[in-house]
Amino acid sequence: MPDWSEAIRERLRGLNLDGAREAEIIEELSQHLGDRYAEMVAGGAAEDQAFRSMMDELEESDLLEGLRNARQPAAREPLGLGASGGTGALGGIGHDLKVAVRNIRVNPAFSLTVVLMLALGVAGTTAIFSIFNGLFLRPLPFPAPDRLVDLNEAAPKWNLTQVSVCNPDYVAWTKGNSSFDGMAFFSGGGANLSDSSGLARRIQTAGVTHELLDVLGLKPVLGRNFFPEEDRPGGAKVVLLGYDLWRSLFHGDPNISGRIVKLDEQPYTVIGVLPREAVLPPEAEAWLPLAADPNQGGSYYLDGIGRLKHGVSIGQAKADLMRVHKGMIQSVKAYVNDLTFPTVIPLRDRYLGDFKAVTNVLLGAVGVVLLIACVNIAGLMMVRGEARSREIAIRAAVGASRLRIVRQLLTESLLIAVLGGAVGVLAGKACLAGMVSLMPDDIPRWIGFGWDARFALFSILVTGAAAVIFGLAPALQAAAVDALSCLQEASRSSMSRGKHRILSGLVVCEIALACILLVCSGLLIQAFRKVLHVDPGIRTDHVMTWRLELPETKYPKAEQQLAAYRDLVSRLKALPGVTAVSAANLIPLAGGHEGNFFLAEGAPPLGRNEQNPVILTVAALPGYFETMGMTLLRGRWFTDQDVADHAPQVAIVSETFAKRFWPGQNPVGKRIRYASEHETPWMQVVGLSRDTRHYGLDVEMRPEVFLPFTVSPRIGLALVLRSSVDASGLVAPVRETIRQVDPGLAMFQVRTMTEWLDRSLWTRRACSWLFGAFAAVAILLAVAGIYGVVSYAVSRRTREIGIRIALGARPGDVMLRVLAGGMVLVAIGLAVGLAASMAVASVLESMLFGVSSRNVATYGAVAALVVLVGALANSIPARRAASVDPIRALRFE
Amino acid sequence: MPPDAVDRDLKKGSGELLILSLLEARPRHGYEISKLIESRSKGAVSFRVASLYPLLYRLEGRGLIQGRWVEKAGQRRRRYYRLTSAGKKVLAARRAGWEAFVDAIRKITGDEYA
Repeated sequence: MPDWSEAIRERLRGLNLDGAREAEIIEELSQHLGDRYAEMVAGGAAEDQAFRSMMDELEESDLLEGLRNARQPAAREPLGLGASGGTGALGGIGHDLKVAVRNIRVNPAFSLTVVLMLALGVAGTTAIFSIFNGLFLRPLPFPAPDRLVDLNEAAPKWNLTQVSVCNPDYVAWTKGNSSFDGMAFFSGGGANLSDSSGLARRIQTAGVTHELLDVLGLKPVLGRNFFPEEDRPGGAKVVLLGYDLWRSLFHGDPNISGRIVKLDEQPYTVIGVLPREAVLPPEAEAWLPLAADPNQGGSYYLDGIGRLKHGVSIGQAKADLMRVHKGMIQSVKAYVNDLTFPTVIPLRDRYLGDFKAVTNVLLGAVGVVLLIACVNIAGLMMVRGEARSREIAIRAAVGASRLRIVRQLLTESLLIAVLGGAVGVLAGKACLAGMVSLMPDDIPRWIGFGWDARFALFSILVTGAAAVIFGLAPALQAAAVDALSCLQEASRSSMSRGKHRILSGLVVCEIALACILLVCSGLLIQAFRKVLHVDPGIRTDHVMTWRLELPETKYPKAEQQLAAYRDLVSRLKALPGVTAVSAANLIPLAGGHEGNFFLAEGAPPLGRNEQNPVILTVAALPGYFETMGMTLLRGRWFTDQDVADHAPQVAIVSETFAKRFWPGQNPVGKRIRYASEHETPWMQVVGLSRDTRHYGLDVEMRPEVFLPFTVSPRIGLALVLRSSVDASGLVAPVRETIRQVDPGLAMFQVRTMTEWLDRSLWTRRACSWLFGAFAAVAILLAVAGIYGVVSYAVSRRTREIGIRIALGARPGDVMLRVLAGGMVLVAIGLAVGLAASMAVASVLESMLFGVSSRNVATYGAVAALVVLVGALANSIPARRAASVDPIRALRFE
Repeated sequence: MPPDAVDRDLKKGSGELLILSLLEARPRHGYEISKLIESRSKGAVSFRVASLYPLLYRLEGRGLIQGRWVEKAGQRRRRYYRLTSAGKKVLAARRAGWEAFVDAIRKITGDEYA
């Protein structure tokens, strides 16, 4: 018998059927032809005649056309009837997946659009979440980190939330508490580490109580911990090296214990190496025993870490410390300032609390972007569902339950979500890398932003939630399709009212959400611009700064220190390109603070509940103000006379100080002194300076007092150098000059003032930019949404529009009608969005730097922008509607 | 009436009804369906491979019938089609429509067909 399969295969070639399906058709048709052939031959027909007759059967012209419909039989096979695939729930899911894959491949443009939209949302969300995760969720690298708390003292009367802890307090707390397994205290510092060659390197050190390693739950990787007797005044000079320092400077020498190193010219014995996890105290590269005198009060300089006993809450611990603290106030009045009381907060909040608000806000914003993406996809899915309603109706008609249909559609959504999620997570990783590279380097080094289980879980949840959000509504709605009307092909050309309403609702939602983001980002950008326009009170260009710390052993007296600094300043002034050099203990925008209380002669007395403000106190060498580019309002700056021996004590005050103590008066000639129980000498005010934004352009300025170095000598100073050339080129000659003065000195924190300014604005800048980016993506997605829905509506109404035009409607009227329909959605979305923005933006209030959260200009600009892009998005389908050719439109049906 | 006299369009329109009717009693394979149509119409209506199978697949695609490969001892496997519950509904509707249609035609054309 002839073989028909080749002849059939040839005729099927143009259909691009999948292999299995093609084989089935060939088998079935071959059988038919074989049966017929055998019957004809048996009935007496000649073989060649029978063969020709069979070939005729295949030649009918509509074979191809007819079979074209058989292209995706499986997708059209009734569901829930065990049509193919396995049995049971798993088999059903396998089948659902197969169908879903096929449907995604059938419409690649649609699938790609949806995947990319989702990827956009997921990328942003996962990137921001990684930062949030790294900062706030990832456990600290210590055993049982949840039981670690930060210990500090607050002084509400001075309006200070963290004044640090003083010696008598920490000793009393450690002895008297009953809620901690252990407590440790530390104070950050720095030292010049020198080796036998005499070359110095500045390292960050920390003086720590000997309990710290145990409280953190860590063990040295080499050697031993401090002995309690080393942690007493006059104890042995010993040092624990940090892991990184040991690796980099001592090449991981396993025999390091017992070696002598010089810190600030003093010999210290290395007793061990800290584990890599010893990331607190922050920045410390080596630990020294604190060796504090428990009786020396008055100075609040310690940070504390406590390990709570099992089952003790922070509230209980705080109450316990309060009890100890109060008892101490009564027993040893002499040492204890009853203005302070202990605070206990989670360790992480202490170091990262500042970032919390920003990160939460960003996470919220990026969540909105993701939501818009989902809403957009839901709209697209519905439009597609509309096109597939016939297929779904048939499924429903052949007995597939609604649940079954919803499951099938959700499987498709989920598959798309997984694809979008995967692309998004990868893109998010790239975004994250970008963001991290822009972060300032003072983020604590124990923060990591890599992927972990929490991140994986979050990504899966986000993706799954997205699938449900954008998949469920269209699925439920598709499952409710009226089977009969679809089968009768009656509802082909008009979209049901309900469906249109849902689509319109989605568009309104998108516009409203985008509005919120636009308003918030507009407000933040306004605030940022306002901050940028704040006068820092200094000229930041062409200024280089660095810190130096003189070793106390070599320069024990203030006169020696002053002489060393003045020597260095005069040598630096001689360098080519240098126009001015000076130094001060603190420079603006670099994050330092030193506060004191002052009495101002002739100031109005404090009110009953009024607090004496903390005064920022800066000790400066002559020439500092001119080098920094500060503005003198009255009087004079410091001169060399002010730092001469036996010079009368003088001071310069800031505008805020003058306003606070001598409102409306000229401060020059008045006197101030330290507020103290002892008699302190009066200092005469010789100058009034314009405020410098010491704590950042967007932070309220405290009153400030400048004192000459001799009044308030410091062992460590920040040097300030103004040049006529690019400051960065001067680092090498400056370093060489310092070496000439003293090869044991190391310069550190080398930065230009412009860098300090940029760093101080980093969080605000990043937040504004990110918000702006999110808002831009949001409005783009929303525009795509409007365009999609209106275009779709127009395409469904082509016939109706054709009839209107045929009946005499002018194209202009048609265009206006479509445009108006679309703009109504834009208007509703805008109204809802602006109203919601007012509520949402008030959350941002603290970040707005005085820009009102109801700033009219911002709302106006957002409204104008949304109307404009809305009109643009609507105009394209509107013009298409106007150009409908009535004849073609009618024939189309 | 010679076989060719049955109009192609008429055949196309009624093909669905014929197939659904034939599957009402029991599942059948394609060749059996084509034989039955030919024999019951005494040769007036016949479907060639090129029109029968596309029609079957179309009906299957719409969920009115369902095909399934069945193997019987000593025979090649064959694809049997059975009527689904949706198919039964559509068959009932088509049948009623067809009767109404024939009735109407008869009324219009009068005695010629009576």
